[in-house]
Amino acid sequence: MRELRFDKTLYEGTQVDAAVKLYAGYGTLTLEDSDAAWIVRVEASSRARERRLAGELANYALGLSIRTRREREA
Amino acid sequence: MQGLPPSILSADLADNAVAITVDADLYPLDAIYGASFTFLDRCFVFLERSASGFRVTLGAKDPRTDPAALRPLVGEFANELLACAWRARITEKNRATIEAVTMQAIGGAMGPAASLDELEDFDFSEEPFEDPLGIAMSWEEKYGKKSSDGVDGADGGDGESE
Repeated sequence: MRELRFDKTLYEGTQVDAAVKLYAGYGTLTLEDSDAAWIVRVEASSRARERRLAGELANYALGLSIRTRREREA
Repeated sequence: MQGLPPSILSADLADNAVAITVDADLYPLDAIYGASFTFLDRCFVFLERSASGFRVTLGAKDPRTDPAALRPLVGEFANELLACAWRARITEKNRATIEAVTMQAIGGAMGPAASLDELEDFDFSEEPFEDPLGIAMSWEEKYGKKSSDGVDGADGGDGESE
């Protein structure tokens, strides 16, 4: 199992949600809300698959968060 | 890893990932976003806060990647980060100038606004322009079949056939 802690000051919550929804079909994703971060736990059939799923999910959430923040600033 | 201070780097070779600590005083968050966005298609990027600023983890997309390949990745990321920070600083420094020049350009393109008196005096009945060669005519007007009453085209204009 892998745990991703998305810092609330760096990532947009809605975009983390969107990423979790998008990749939910590729493994078991559990979302938890803490004070400082959105925590996503990633479980998949193998360690390699977990690594890839966590990486792709994190990239997607980061890309969308950056785009959202830039659009808001523009 | 050679070429970069070991105090800001930590590598997890088992996971084919390397983490860089970025000083928030030197690199603004916008620069980190910019550099990270550029690398999204090349590796897995994950951002965290650290005591001195930020921690950026870069992971190879292919788990079979040679750990040595992480070195140029980190170096290129550091270069991109520096370029983004520098660009952000230049933009911030020249913001007033850029805004002034943009406003002048837009204002110049719009031209002076016409007053209501000028609009009232304007002769709208005048032909927009002369077109002796029929360049502005439609294809139907120019080459359309003659109608039964001998008038060219659908709109009855004079064609070249005359």
